[in-house]
Amino acid sequence: MSIPEQDRDDVLLRRAAKGDEDSFTCLYRRHQAALYRFALRMTGNSWAAEEVVQDVFMTLMKEPKKYDAARGPVGAYLFGIARNRVMKHLERLPRELSLEEPNGDGTRASDTAVSTFTPAHWAEQQERTERVRAAVLELPAEFREAVVLCELEELSYEEAAQLSGCPIGTIRSRLHRGRALLMAKLEMLRDTPRRVRVAR
Amino acid sequence: MKCEEFEAISLERGGLRMSDLDASLRAAAAEHAAACPDCAALQESWQEARVALQLLRETTQGAQAPQRVEMRLRHEFGRRHRTAKARFAAVFAAWTLAAATVVIAGISWWNWRLAQTSREHVSAANTVKTPTAVATAADTPEDATLVAGNEFGDFTPLPGSLPQEMDDSAIVRVRMQRGALGALGLPVNEERVSDWIQVDLLVGEDGLPKAVRLPQ
Repeated sequence: MSIPEQDRDDVLLRRAAKGDEDSFTCLYRRHQAALYRFALRMTGNSWAAEEVVQDVFMTLMKEPKKYDAARGPVGAYLFGIARNRVMKHLERLPRELSLEEPNGDGTRASDTAVSTFTPAHWAEQQERTERVRAAVLELPAEFREAVVLCELEELSYEEAAQLSGCPIGTIRSRLHRGRALLMAKLEMLRDTPRRVRVAR
Repeated sequence: MKCEEFEAISLERGGLRMSDLDASLRAAAAEHAAACPDCAALQESWQEARVALQLLRETTQGAQAPQRVEMRLRHEFGRRHRTAKARFAAVFAAWTLAAATVVIAGISWWNWRLAQTSREHVSAANTVKTPTAVATAADTPEDATLVAGNEFGDFTPLPGSLPQEMDDSAIVRVRMQRGALGALGLPVNEERVSDWIQVDLLVGEDGLPKAVRLPQ
């Protein structure tokens, strides 16, 4: 089903550039969640993710004419800006720890409720989530990006390559390496590590 | 199948989702995993990692930017565009004022030029001569009481008429006694008042004669 002409992103952007606040809001609501999720998964920090989303839309507000429809959809353009902001953030604070205070129950504000069966199961899930979150955040930025895009955002290699601005082969190899590193880190975080080879 | 192949397939294909592999490859991978504890551990690790990643994906799936981000952005959007509109209005007003000034100055100049031109035209066309040119002596040639050229436009204005009033005048040729010129306020030779002469009168829009000429 195609989107009506007046609701298309580029049309909304054109209207927003002329001062139509509703169009801008519509564009924001349509894309903010995906951008926020990506930034959150990349930085592991909800404040940083919030800042990234705000920066992305401030850039769009200031320079709407920078968007070139010939180079791709508005979503990809926004994602490109978000990616640059995330990378800058990671460069600036390569080992920044999340300052987000865990709630009393150990969860974070950014976590959503997970269906639980028993307290023990719930606790185990929380622990596992924290472990994998920590392992993902310890990956080097380019491998982390590949893992986030392909494993968490569930994008295809083609889509991930397009968003990252690199060839498919690069994404494939980064993902391969990222998975191997992730597995090694998860094994190291286990109480009783198994022997795992790190991919060459 | 060798360990390297198993590892490559495992990591390339996202952890050996057996359904993704064809039957022969699946069988070979399963056989290799059964025989090689390292590869079995690798497979198990990756499957656990997949589950963990899935869990992480689910926990962050519903995450979205807090409402305050939208509020801040909307506030900034409104401020930015209000400022832009006000700036545009000021610039527009300034340019309109400047344009209006230029237009008014242009029209004024054009009117002034037209007035100048018409004034010059009238004075050139009528070559006004002053009544001081009127002959007074008796020794002047006959019919030369009023000294005027015979060319078109060589009219002598009558006393009390202004050169500007001759602009839209008509020329009327009349025959009259010389003495009648006195009625028009012109000096007349008393000895020849009864002579009949032809006179061109320049009659204004109001129907009154403004100037006189004596054709040959």
